[in-house]
Amino acid sequence: MATKLSRRDFMRAAAGSAAAVSLAGFLSPYIAEAAEAGELPPVIWLAGGACTGCAVSLLNCQDPDIQDVLLKVISLRFQENVMAAQGEQAINAIYDVVAKYPGQYVLAVEGSVQIKENGKWCVIGEREGHEVTMLQAVKDVGSQAAAIINIGTCSCFGGLPSADPNPSESRSVADIVKGKPIINVAGCPPHPDWIVGTIAHYLLFKDVPELDSAGRPKMFYGRIIHDNCQRRQYFDNGIFAKNFGEMGCMLELGCKGPIAHCDSTTRLWNGGVNWCVQCGGVCLACTEPQFPNWPIYERMAEMPIGPATTATVDQIGFVLGGAAVLGIGGHLAGNIATGRIGSKKDHDKEEGDN
Amino acid sequence: MIKKMELRHPLWVRLLHWSNMISITMLCLTGFYIHAPLSFRLFENMDNARTAHFAFAMVLFVGVVLRIYLAIAEKDWPNILYHPIEDTKKLPSMIKYYLFLAKDHPYYGKYNPGQKGMYTGVFVLALFQVLTGFILYKPEFFTSWAYFFGGYLVVRILHYIVTWIFVLMVLVHVYLDVAEGIPVLKSIFTGKIPADFHHGYHVDEQGRKIEPERGVSA
Ligand code: HEM
Ligand code: SF4
Ligand code: SF4
Repeated sequence: MATKLSRRDFMRAAAGSAAAVSLAGFLSPYIAEAAEAGELPPVIWLAGGACTGCAVSLLNCQDPDIQDVLLKVISLRFQENVMAAQGEQAINAIYDVVAKYPGQYVLAVEGSVQIKENGKWCVIGEREGHEVTMLQAVKDVGSQAAAIINIGTCSCFGGLPSADPNPSESRSVADIVKGKPIINVAGCPPHPDWIVGTIAHYLLFKDVPELDSAGRPKMFYGRIIHDNCQRRQYFDNGIFAKNFGEMGCMLELGCKGPIAHCDSTTRLWNGGVNWCVQCGGVCLACTEPQFPNWPIYERMAEMPIGPATTATVDQIGFVLGGAAVLGIGGHLAGNIATGRIGSKKDHDKEEGDN
Repeated sequence: MIKKMELRHPLWVRLLHWSNMISITMLCLTGFYIHAPLSFRLFENMDNARTAHFAFAMVLFVGVVLRIYLAIAEKDWPNILYHPIEDTKKLPSMIKYYLFLAKDHPYYGKYNPGQKGMYTGVFVLALFQVLTGFILYKPEFFTSWAYFFGGYLVVRILHYIVTWIFVLMVLVHVYLDVAEGIPVLKSIFTGKIPADFHHGYHVDEQGRKIEPERGVSA
């Protein structure tokens, strides 16, 4: 008889307030019991146009042992970075799960999907003498999945591979597979707790956690970095770092904390050591759908004003302002010369006196 | 000798004009500090600047809503709302006048088409600033609104561009109203303008210019 974990306790654990152990460590006994009772859907992890950073972030998950996390907590059946099988055998492992558990398994996708030349820009393996493209795999596996969990900003929103000018025509998973519940575990990379927590939530409760308007679980992405940042006092007091390594708020160095949704400020990375801004960097807003289409170390993007030419809003404003002042000066001179301002009007006024 | 005056701006127009002017000015100044606290050192710290920005944001919000309500309730809207057909027809004569190609211009109503265009624009832009401002104000609440515009950074840039447009518009607005004549400038303080102030010539039904009866006492 499995000890059931209530949603409430799950949420408390996810918020980091339930136990001293990591989220994965807290969840592992519950999931192990569910697994013994044969209640765990299998998980297939596909990686496409990605840097493997998300997988590495997951492997960085500490306590319990990462082997336990992969096999017990999130019951992975296919993960190319850690599985022993290779070549066609590995690809067959995917299609075996699809055939055996249609509509029951969970698809986790890392990386974007390349659609150029019918997917030829991202081949993930071979099967029966034909190459299997990421595009094909996502369609085949995604269309039969119970739910899709996107791991990382690339699969969620396109991410780095789909940044302008996007030569490989990279797309998010939602652009490829329609009509399936999709959960976006955004981040470049996402925190291991966000990955483990989201997959475990689905495995335990068989439903999608509460999502925000970008499809991200609210339990991890509900707050704004800027409102919880340890450097916030500097911001309020107008103390801004001008160089890296200085004391102060990182805003002027390009910090995107004011627009970023995630809970790094309290969750902390690398087993609770530090996080992006506290360690002296800027927040990149790596969890946002528009990431990384902005200059990382600048406050605001410049405006395109012509082919391959940009200018800051201030530059444009000053030029237009200068033009307006010149125009006004010229017009004023004309007005005085033609007598519209000054003598004539005043003359009229005098005449008009009662 | 008492000059015969007529009412140009009722009290509510003047009150809202000045409250909106003050809040827009303060929003621009605090906004420039929020944008570039290291170079635009007008305020002591972010806390002050942001508190003032949000306070004046509320004043502007109320001011704009009231102004729109009263424009409708007091039937003032035909004065300030640019009419895409009627007012565009009047544009050439106004441009000729401003470029010194014509000595006088026809009577346009309370405001000429250029002014009407600008006032209509100010309303649109003010509402736009209110909208983008509130999106930036509560990013965890208005997330989907921000994504509609293409994300928070885009919203920020738009909010900032419109700030510059306000600055440029104010320059032109103040000049053009001064250029109309000092009595016009005075009228937004006192509300009144000399009854015989020349607002342009009138035309009869055939479109012929009626020679103004200048200087004839009433
Ligand atoms: C005429 C009207 C307004 C002007 C000219 C104006 C101007 C500005 C400027 C220049 C900025 C700095 C942008 C940047 O560089 O990030 C700013 C920021 C901001 N404005 Fe406005 N604004 C106006 C109205 C409003 C309104 C109505 C609100 C509503 C609450 C608002 C809320 C904000 C917020 C929340 C920020 C960001 C502050 C921060 O994150 O520290 N603004 N505004
Ligand atoms: S460092 Fe970044 S997140 Fe922190 S207060 Fe400054 S702008 Fe906000
Ligand atoms: S703090 Fe910013 S850069 Fe760091 S994970 Fe969160 S969104 Fe990404």
